[in-house]
Formats: sequence, C-alpha cells, structure tokens
Amino acid sequence: MELLADLLMPSLWAFLACVGFGLVYNIQGAGILICGFGGALGWFFYLIARQWVGSIVAAFLAAVAITVFSEWMARVRRCPVTGYLQVALLPLVPGSGIYYSMRYCVAGDTQQFLSTLLNTFGMAASLAIGAMLTSTVLRLLLPYFQGSQKNSG
Amino acid sequence: MDYDALLNLGTELGYKLVLSGAEIYRVEESVLRLLTAYGLQPQVFALPSCLIVSVNTPAGHPITQMRRVPPHGTDIELLERCNDLCRQLCREVPPLPEAAELVGKLGQDHRSYPTRVLLLGYAAAAAFFTAFYGGTLLDTLCGGLCGLAVGVWMLWASPRLRFNNLFQTLIGAAIASLLALVLVHMKIGGQLEAITIGTLMVLVPGMALTNAMREIMVGDIFSGLSRTAESILTATAIALGVMVSLAIGN
Repeated sequence: MELLADLLMPSLWAFLACVGFGLVYNIQGAGILICGFGGALGWFFYLIARQWVGSIVAAFLAAVAITVFSEWMARVRRCPVTGYLQVALLPLVPGSGIYYSMRYCVAGDTQQFLSTLLNTFGMAASLAIGAMLTSTVLRLLLPYFQGSQKNSG
Repeated sequence: MDYDALLNLGTELGYKLVLSGAEIYRVEESVLRLLTAYGLQPQVFALPSCLIVSVNTPAGHPITQMRRVPPHGTDIELLERCNDLCRQLCREVPPLPEAAELVGKLGQDHRSYPTRVLLLGYAAAAAFFTAFYGGTLLDTLCGGLCGLAVGVWMLWASPRLRFNNLFQTLIGAAIASLLALVLVHMKIGGQLEAITIGTLMVLVPGMALTNAMREIMVGDIFSGLSRTAESILTATAIALGVMVSLAIGN
C-alpha cells in the first residue's frame, strides 16, 4: 500500500470535504478545522483497518477514533460534541450506499437492492454503536482521570 | 412565580434546539434541566417535528404546551448558543423576564455565513467528495460546478418556488446528474460515477440515517423511526431524480 497515494491523499480530500460541509452546517471559527481534521483522522483509520477487516468493522473502529478525538475537542473548547461528530463522520456515513440501494430499487433489481440496503444499515448501525459506546466509556472514565490529575497536582 | 411564562420559556428554548438539529435526548434533557432549575418537575417529549412540555404547578394545576417544528436543517452555531444559554440559566437561575429576554434573543444575533460562503461550501463539499471517490483534477472541478448548481437550487431557487422537501431534493438530484452527464459528454469530466456520487453527497441522507440508528439505540424509538423513514424517502427521491435525468440523457 503506497502511503501517499492510498492513505494521505484520500485523507486530505476527506479533510477538505468536511470543511466544505462545516460551512453548510454553519460551524463558526476554529471548529471548522477541527471537524475537517476529525474527518481526515477517521478516514485514515478506516483505510488502515480495511486492510485486515471488513468494511463494517473498519467503520466501527474509525467511529471510535473520531469519537475520542471529538469528545476531547469538545471538552477543550467547552462545546457540545454534536457538531464535530456529525461532520467528522461524514466521509464514513453510507450516503452512497443508501443512494445506490434506492437506485437498484427504482431499477427493479431486488436482489442487489436488498443486499446493498442491508449493508448500508449495517454501516450506519456500526457507526452509531461505535460513537455511542465510546462516548459512554469516556463519560465513565474521564471524571476518574481528571480526579486523579487533581489529586496528583 | 408565573408558571405560564416559565413554561413558555422552556418550550421556546426546546423549540430552538429542535430547530438547530440537536439530538432528541439533548432537547429533552435541556428543557428538563432548565425547568427543574426553576423548581418544577416537568415532563418533556420531543420528536423531530414536535415538542410537548407539561408541568404541574405546586398548587396541583397541570399545564401543557405543544409546539410543531417546521422542517429544518442543521445549524451547529445555533445549537452551541442554545446549549451555552441553557447551562448559564441552570447555573444562575436569573429572574424570569430576564431569562425570557435572553432566550428570545437566541437566533437573532447569532453568526451565520452569507449565501456566497454557503454556495462555496456546497461547491467545495461536492468537489472534494468527487476527488474522494477517485475523480481526477478535472473531475473535481466538474464536481465543484455541479455542487454549485445544487447549492443555487437548494438555497435560492426552490425556497422561492415553495416546493416541498422531497420534490426539492428530487429536482436537485436531477440537476446535479444532468449537469454531470453534459460535462462528461463535452469530454471535460472523465468519470461520470465519481462526479455524480460526489455531488449527491450534499443531498444524500447518510448522516440522517446514522443519527436515526443512534436515536433508536438510545431509546428514542419514535424519533429514530421517523428519521429513518425520512432518509429512505429522501434517498428514493434522489434515485428518481437521477433516473429521470439519465433517461433524458439517453
């Protein structure tokens, strides 16, 4: 796997695309760069994980990476995590999947329609589980870490 | 205390949160916390299209308010403002008229991008998603052009024509794919699939579907199901729009 062409360039495109979406979603200030960086990070992790595992598991792992980054940034900037998470997940969300499955449906290709639709729901669900699970675990762990920092400092 | 005004305050804040595209649990929790901070025990139920808040006054008199929420997009800046204000109100618990004024001012003075920057956002998102799906440099430019056309349609043309959301998306997809076809026929763009799907990323409800799954898992089943149905309908409209323009192109 070539580092530049197969890993870094797609991540760069993901970064720029996410910044574009940040404008559409009205994200102001430095938040828009954070979103872009989150999107690039997620896609980078997805591409690496994709070498060993299937797309649904890779999407789960990428969602975990994005959520850790977004929750961290949300705490640093004292903002709700929603904005960062929504935009950073965009390169991974199965937009093309849901489009292709409805296209098969309109064309009357039932077999392809069902398999694409199920894969799309699988992707969406694995992203949602990845994001939720990580948020929950972080919410449990973070007070613990912050508490121990206060005690030591 | 004026409980009617208090209920109005909570409902107004919740309404603005729903309008900004916040998650349902955030809306319900924010209104709950706000009214609890003012010493009530409210019941809150929200859907993407509706918000119901009900309280019992200490005298035992139940009062309820329901607000319908029109179709809305996502406005992260408004969401952050609402969230900040909610935290501030819960912490300081200012007198009611002051709090009502603060909530009323939400969304009036908040920063939003001018239309030309939004158009740039549409163009950039479409262009770089084209590159993302394997387009060459020229394809990327074509994607940007198609994205710009979709942006002009979504922001400028269709609100003036007062189309409903589904039809608006259908025509937007038709415009995007027809323009991509023309550009490829003129030998400017190379890969039709990359340009089309890259441009359609600005319309496709991938995020809505992921949010819907999340809400179903959190337990907001009604809200999640309504969002799922909406995203499948939107995707159908996009597919129909693309089919129409492919039929015209052939």
